[in-house]
Amino acid sequence: MTENTLELRNVTKTYGDFTAVDDVSFVVPKGAVYGFLGPNGAGKTTSIRMILEIIKPTSGEISILNGRSALEVRDRIGYLPEEKGLYKKMRAWSIIAYFATLKGMSRKDAKHRAFELLERYGLKDFANAKTEALSKGMGQKVQVLASIAHDPEFVILDEPFSGLDPVNQEVMEDVIRDLSERGHTVLFSTHVMSHAERICDQIVLLAGGKKVLDDTVENARHIIPRKLRLESPKSLQFLEQMGDVLRMAPIDEKGDIIVDGQGQPGKLWDVYLSEKAEPIDVIEACLREGIPLERFDYSPPSLHEVFVHLVGDQAKEASFR
Amino acid sequence: MRAIFMIALREYAENAKTKGFWIGLFLFPVIIFASIAVQRLLEDSTPTRHFVLVDQSGAYGAEIREDIDRAYRSSVLMALNGYALEHAVNPPQAKEIDLEETPPIDMAEMQQSIESHMGPEMGAMLDEEGIESMLELMSAPFDGLVEDRPEFEMPRPAFLEVPLPKELNEDASVEELSEQLRPYLRGEKTVIVDGEEVSLFACVLLPRDIQDFVQRPGLLADLKRAKALQDKVDAGPDAKPVRRGGQYWGSNLADSDLKNRIQRSINKTLQRRELETRGLDVAAVAAVNDTTLRLSALDPKKEEGKEEVSTADQIRQWAPVGFVYLLWIGIFTISQMLLNNTVEEKSNRIIEVLLSSVTAGELMMGKLAGIAGIGLTMIGVWMGSLVGILGLSAGPEAEFPTMLLEVLTGSGLIFWFVLYFCLGYLLYAGIFLAIGSLCNTIKDAQNLMGPVMLIMMVPIITMMFIPKDPNGTLATILSWIPLYTPFTMMNRAAADPPMFDKIGTLVLLVVFTLFTLVMVGRVFRAGILRTGQPPKIRELLSWMKP
Repeated sequence: MTENTLELRNVTKTYGDFTAVDDVSFVVPKGAVYGFLGPNGAGKTTSIRMILEIIKPTSGEISILNGRSALEVRDRIGYLPEEKGLYKKMRAWSIIAYFATLKGMSRKDAKHRAFELLERYGLKDFANAKTEALSKGMGQKVQVLASIAHDPEFVILDEPFSGLDPVNQEVMEDVIRDLSERGHTVLFSTHVMSHAERICDQIVLLAGGKKVLDDTVENARHIIPRKLRLESPKSLQFLEQMGDVLRMAPIDEKGDIIVDGQGQPGKLWDVYLSEKAEPIDVIEACLREGIPLERFDYSPPSLHEVFVHLVGDQAKEASFR
Repeated sequence: MRAIFMIALREYAENAKTKGFWIGLFLFPVIIFASIAVQRLLEDSTPTRHFVLVDQSGAYGAEIREDIDRAYRSSVLMALNGYALEHAVNPPQAKEIDLEETPPIDMAEMQQSIESHMGPEMGAMLDEEGIESMLELMSAPFDGLVEDRPEFEMPRPAFLEVPLPKELNEDASVEELSEQLRPYLRGEKTVIVDGEEVSLFACVLLPRDIQDFVQRPGLLADLKRAKALQDKVDAGPDAKPVRRGGQYWGSNLADSDLKNRIQRSINKTLQRRELETRGLDVAAVAAVNDTTLRLSALDPKKEEGKEEVSTADQIRQWAPVGFVYLLWIGIFTISQMLLNNTVEEKSNRIIEVLLSSVTAGELMMGKLAGIAGIGLTMIGVWMGSLVGILGLSAGPEAEFPTMLLEVLTGSGLIFWFVLYFCLGYLLYAGIFLAIGSLCNTIKDAQNLMGPVMLIMMVPIITMMFIPKDPNGTLATILSWIPLYTPFTMMNRAAADPPMFDKIGTLVLLVVFTLFTLVMVGRVFRAGILRTGQPPKIRELLSWMKP
């Protein structure tokens, strides 16, 4: 008995000459909230479909909830697909109840649960509405509720935030946090980094079908240089001698780097520190040198910057292909 | 199994909520009921037709008037008969008619027999006095009839002669008269009858020289006809046509009852006079005309002593046509439902959620089963209402529905219908399901449906031919093509097809259906998650390989 909810080992999926997923391995421990990140076309949805055994991998192994196949344990899995759709003529509660019964709940329990969920997430008044009468966001909420109605141990959400307004994005985050607090495992894909940053324990980053990163959010932030923005009436050139400073560049008011010979070096500088450096060391060095600092900006790198740093070129390439 | 059941249940519940289902459900009983009711209604509601009769020759007017009058009196007599039956203290029990013994009804024969039996006895009852006395009898207190009956209502005459409008001259030429009567027939002018304006239905013009145009068989007549034709050619295409003989001008020529009646009346009178001028005994000739010899239609396939073709046989032979039509409508209505909701699931990607919960096989079986339930409900209601309506309208006064009902419930038609419905449904629904799994939009589906529709039209086209030769080559060949087996065998069901055909085609149909469903299963699994254009044929075939 391992404590891992999901394990992928060297999973590859090819369609003819095209390799959608290339030798991907990762492990999702029980109770984790796992972010599945990557630019468009990175192979996220394909991976998720393989995990659910809607399609079969070309090679590699997937073990889910200690089973060989998602089919054996599908009643314990909840799934929200990337493209959202509902039966237009069905009522909100009955569609939630229907999907729950397909997962093995009795019809009575499923109905009860559907109303309970709709009430909890603010859709009580729409329980009897036909889904075609719901707004896109509401419809999506209904679908999320349908995917978790049978209280699955492992929930897979493909792009749960897309198409939701900021308020409902928060509701969605709450849904995920609720699940996590009750010990359920969540794997969700997104390309909006801020969500991942807020709610994930760990992230997997795919690009071009390959795994690029698989780490905690905290560690992920440290893989790119830290950036300081300093302002001083005196020259800060001496900082280049410090071991932790990778490079530095004078910038203008707009934040653009001033290239040599084009205008005067001003008072503003961007300073890049190595991953392990502490920003406080820079302040100490300035104090030692007796150089006054008028501005000292430091924020840890966001996941967004990590993302752009790691896969930015690939994503651009993909979008122009 | 549970998942299949849950899917079937949803399919059933959701489709049972659609308008299409309910329309389909009720349309059929409504049509049957209406076709029975409308017939009666039409008879009751046809207005009296007003016509003008100008007989310048004086040769036929009296006879025509007498015939039309007599027809009216006979309808009064019929109505009186119905009235008496309805309000009788002891309504007479209808004679049980054994269909198996009744020879088939031949409409032409029946008509002739009625005409010839309008002998002196009937004539006496039908004259003015006879009617008068009957009416008196009915309105007076009478032992045979119940006390509180409503008063007898005289039926409306079907045809009523009106005088020529005043401004028209009866002695004008036929050309002139017809010219002047045109506006009346077109409804532009009306005539006054009992103070009411009515439009003229028809006018009959019998010119002075009508007797010159009597057509007799023989060489002379042929020569005359040839001469007339030659005259017409000589006159050139632009010449005004010259009409000869009697003329019937009608505002609605599709309704030919009046024309036929007048034509018959004229011919009868003419023929009687011909007999008289040749010095023949009219009564004797009538008697000779009535002397007949019946030729029985016998069926060698029936057991000895019962070979005679009966009315029941006729109903059995033609009733399947109705069943074939129902089968066709039923199968394609519900297969279409299946196609539509498969495309819906595919186009809005519900399919992915479903496939994360159930296998493609379970989904397919569930859908097939759920829609089958819809179909069985539909034909159940249809059969029930058919039997119900026939049962309700059956009774002493309605022999035909009674007969029909007996034949339907007595023979195995309903059993075969249900069997062929189920098999035909599985076969066609399977094909539709495969098409649905390949298409992302209804539009794509319609493109693929084209060829299937063509194939489907065949049973509808052959439906009316097969009963004429139910065990002929065409019927036999079609029976052995599984796609047509349900329809063709249903069509032939009444004609006792050979046991070899019955069992053989059934086995072939079952095997073919199973094979199709296996293939459909493969296509369904591969196609259901596919997006974009439907696949090419070669790709499709590669999916079918195990």
